[in-house]
Amino acid sequence: MAPFVEVMHKADVNKLYDEKLNRKRDSSRRRPERKRRQPEQPEQPAPKARKRRRVKARLFERGMGLDLPFLLLVLVLLVIGMIMMFSASYPTAYYSSRINDSYYYIRRQAIYAAIGVAAMLGISFFNYNKLHKLAPIMLAVSYIALVAVLLVPSKIHRWFEIGPINIQASEITKFAIILFFAHWGSLYYDKMQSAKYSVLPGILIFGSTAALLLLEPHYSGIVIIAILTVVMLYISGMRTFYLAVGGILLVFAVLGAWATGLLTYAMTRMDGWGQALIYTTDEMWQTTWQTRNSLYAIGSGGLFGLGLGQSRQKYLYLPEPQNDFVFAVVCEELGFVGALIILLIFALLVWRGITLSLRSKDRFGKLLGIGLSSQIGIQVVLNILVITDWLPNTGISLPFFSFGGSSLIMLLAQMGLILSISRTANIEKQ
Amino acid sequence: MAKKRKKRSEKGVLQLLRFRTTILILLILVLGFGAVSVRLCYLQLVNGPYLQEKAVEQQLVDTTVNSKRGTIYDAKGKILAQSASVWKVVLAPAYLEKDEQRKYVAKNLSKILDLSYDDVYAKTKKKTYYVVIKRKIESDEREQILKFVDKLTDKYAKMSNVITLFDDYRRYYPYEDLASSVIGFTGSDDQGLEGIEFQYDKYLTGTPGRVITARNANQTDMPFEYEQNVEAKDGNSITLTIDETIQSIAEKYMKKGLVDNAVVKRGVCIIMDVNTGGILAMVTADGYDLNNPYDLSQADLDAIKALPEKQRAQAESNALSAMWRNKAIADTYYPGSVFKMCTASMALNEGKVNDNSSFYCGGSVTIYDHTIHCHYTGGHGSQNFFQAIANSCNPAFIQIGNLVGAEKFKKYYQAFGFSEPTGIDLPGESDDLFFANNRMSETDLAISSFGQGFSITPIQMLTACASIANGGKVVQPYIVQTITDVDGNVIKNTETTYKRQVISKETAEKMCGYLERNTTQGGRNNGYVAGYRVGGKTGTSEKIGNSRPGFKDYIASFCGFAPADDARVACLVFFDTPTGASYYGSQVSAPVFVDIMSEVLPYLEIQAEYSESEKKYVDTVAGSYVGLSVKKAQAAAKSDGFTTTVKGEGSKVISQIPSAASKIPTGGNVVLYTDKESKKNKVTVPNFVGYSVSTVNSLASDYGLNVSFTGVTSSANSVSTSQSIAEGSEVKPGTVVSVKFGGGTVVHD
Repeated sequence: MAPFVEVMHKADVNKLYDEKLNRKRDSSRRRPERKRRQPEQPEQPAPKARKRRRVKARLFERGMGLDLPFLLLVLVLLVIGMIMMFSASYPTAYYSSRINDSYYYIRRQAIYAAIGVAAMLGISFFNYNKLHKLAPIMLAVSYIALVAVLLVPSKIHRWFEIGPINIQASEITKFAIILFFAHWGSLYYDKMQSAKYSVLPGILIFGSTAALLLLEPHYSGIVIIAILTVVMLYISGMRTFYLAVGGILLVFAVLGAWATGLLTYAMTRMDGWGQALIYTTDEMWQTTWQTRNSLYAIGSGGLFGLGLGQSRQKYLYLPEPQNDFVFAVVCEELGFVGALIILLIFALLVWRGITLSLRSKDRFGKLLGIGLSSQIGIQVVLNILVITDWLPNTGISLPFFSFGGSSLIMLLAQMGLILSISRTANIEKQ
Repeated sequence: MAKKRKKRSEKGVLQLLRFRTTILILLILVLGFGAVSVRLCYLQLVNGPYLQEKAVEQQLVDTTVNSKRGTIYDAKGKILAQSASVWKVVLAPAYLEKDEQRKYVAKNLSKILDLSYDDVYAKTKKKTYYVVIKRKIESDEREQILKFVDKLTDKYAKMSNVITLFDDYRRYYPYEDLASSVIGFTGSDDQGLEGIEFQYDKYLTGTPGRVITARNANQTDMPFEYEQNVEAKDGNSITLTIDETIQSIAEKYMKKGLVDNAVVKRGVCIIMDVNTGGILAMVTADGYDLNNPYDLSQADLDAIKALPEKQRAQAESNALSAMWRNKAIADTYYPGSVFKMCTASMALNEGKVNDNSSFYCGGSVTIYDHTIHCHYTGGHGSQNFFQAIANSCNPAFIQIGNLVGAEKFKKYYQAFGFSEPTGIDLPGESDDLFFANNRMSETDLAISSFGQGFSITPIQMLTACASIANGGKVVQPYIVQTITDVDGNVIKNTETTYKRQVISKETAEKMCGYLERNTTQGGRNNGYVAGYRVGGKTGTSEKIGNSRPGFKDYIASFCGFAPADDARVACLVFFDTPTGASYYGSQVSAPVFVDIMSEVLPYLEIQAEYSESEKKYVDTVAGSYVGLSVKKAQAAAKSDGFTTTVKGEGSKVISQIPSAASKIPTGGNVVLYTDKESKKNKVTVPNFVGYSVSTVNSLASDYGLNVSFTGVTSSANSVSTSQSIAEGSEVKPGTVVSVKFGGGTVVHD
């Protein structure tokens, strides 16, 4: 899809910007222009004819090459997310005998957000092409994290603590997967048609990661990793045929599981997935407590909601409303209309992220940007499917909304990468 | 070549990327976000109301506020049953975080509430917010609990919601066992289980209120402003026709009757206003303590203890239901000779007999194969109609029954109200048991004419008797006069229901005359109450089966009314299985009837009319002569109808025996003391029992004592049966000794 009207505007703006910059550069050559490193794409011929100049923008020079709409969407979502997270979390924080402080979560989230925004803006100056080198290392870190988290003594091995913050291992994994496949896809873009370069690494990496996630257990994590893997391979150019085969195999597997009753069994095992309202035993009732109360909250919202701060389900009925289930409280307080508006902002963000990435001047940037943008969209969809009991209730947080230091900082850092990509995307060919 | 392919492929890859990105955007934003929106739309708009209802259901706590149960009053406004505030102790053990706290709470609660420490400790370990520790604690226990809560909140933090006291009510019965079978009792949830409490439960209960509040999942506060109160509406109060005084009199003598006659299976006494049908007293003796309705008598407990383990539970439940049973309406029995008043009424009303009709009794009658004996085996010989009644002669009544005929008999049986429950407003009224298919053989008619062969309830018998007494009208007996709401508005007032005229007024009046003569002639053993015109009939009926091997079981009953010329009350006395010296109605039930009526009739302010011979035995109130000069005192006493004895040398009366306002017979002796020395004189009370009226009189004057005569003194063969002050007691001269007389003809029917 071609970027349309905005591109023209952008182009004009950038032209003006370039002229201004050139003037500046002419007048004072205080900073010697850093020689831009070529991306590690050996196959790509040295683009002498289309030499690009990366815009050197300063932090407070807003809009200088940095995609302002995307940044604004990120900040809007961050603010709405924090307000809603505060609204959802304060009763839990207040009534908890351990915490006993209504502002416990929001205070921390605000600090994380501040760090995250700083990181985002900082990273937006960072040349993402340097991440080529980092991709395999990141993948290795992901594996280490996934193994390490299994060694933490707990019933569910999803997090480990480093200092004051909890890190969810799959957060690293998601980024590692996107980064690696962006790297891989830009490296072997012309060989992606062959199974050896697409299906094989896909199955190897996804399979091994999924196996580790299964041990945690983290079913929705597997789902999100699977989707990310497929998305990355798909946009990298994998043959649709393999995808179709995989899809058909999946459908048959699900049908088979459904026919043999294995699916129901699995659903029961997966924390009573899909059975929140039809619990039969006390145990099931306990297991599906969170999901059921999430449904109650969502249903209570109706069209216009109970009003900001007026949720009742957050009064300890919905456990941990600050985490994955924050959107249930959003639905209860702001209603269907409010939920749709927030979804719309998310959609705009994803749209903007993907389209600006498409305009990136190199394949790595395109793939990485699209991957990171679509990850947000996918995560929003999966999170809402979890809180509405269409997916098992296993830890998919809602970007910008859910409480959590590591995930918020990491998310904003990733947004910084997209912004970084947007800078190259906005450079005109010279 | 290679370069060209590469170039083409690069361009293709770029196009492919654009195409695939479009697909990706479609998938995520259209399919993904679309699915999410549809799902949210379904949950919030389609399924929203259901989910919201479920959510509200768990967020709102609906607490019931108990309503106060209505009061039950007797006819004079005395409280028979009342609800008072008590409290329910509820623990929220989930707040107790440390074992030390649990132990502390358990230790104190078990001590205050007299509960087992282990039980309470087990409850403190639960992870809930609502565990009932004890129900219905009284105010002193409440005070202690409140003090303990203060201590607990001082000692530990966050303890203010651990113990809660909820308002509740407890039922109290101030008169304990009075009219127990009528009033009944309530269960632990304040629901009526027996008697009036059961029958009028919906009136008494009231409407419980509700407090609906929003609570968080810990059942504590929630800022969500929602509170809805529905005030509890207290129950209505009920005023019975039962009069506590009459009921007490009846119970007193019924209890005595049970003891005197070694009655095995309790006794019944019903007193009814014959004109209205209102029940003035209904006794099933012995009653039980309504405040502790599950406590069996010691005798029952001993009997149960003697049983093998397995049968105990069943025996206990049987004993309880027997104890609670209102025999006056739930038991059926052969009415026996009492029923003869009905048979006689039928014959008289049908014009089959008159005063001069003659009946012969040869001691027994044989109908087909059955030989029916008269209780007087020698035979009454030839008798007129009244004599047949007075003799309670079975062969004569067989003849009278024959004159009526089976069809008419059945018609009157129904008309007297025996064929259906009386409809009294009490639970558990039994139906009668008549002959199969409503068919009477000649033998059936013969035995029916003297009240055997069919079973009726005591209340049916009394209602029939009342209809004879009130001029032939069958009234519906009732026990609840008015129902009033909390504000005193009358919700329901019972009016007398006349069901039908069963016999003509003339017949009824005639029957009253016969029955009055029957008592007058028979004396105490036929229900004669001194000073009153009483009509009545004794009865002794055989029971089917026997409780003691080798003995037949009987029911001794008496049914009568007073005054005979203008009846106000009818009374039935009934003892089930007396095992004392006698089992005859005349010896077991009639004296109890007389005792009851001789107190009830004056209470009802029915003027006594004494015969000439009785008058001198009627008590008069002594005046006060203290402070007067001896001469004046003597004159005053004389004008009051007393003789005087002066003791001491003083000129003024300083005290007198009997004291002022006490009752002594007319012509009794008042001892006037003029100094303190003479007051020390004492007299030894002699034996007054076993003498005739005149002997007792002369004995008393010999000893310088006064005698108050009770019982039948008019009959020539009256014999004193008891005295109020035991023989050999040292008393002051002039003291009144109450002597009771019995006697008269004993009819062994």
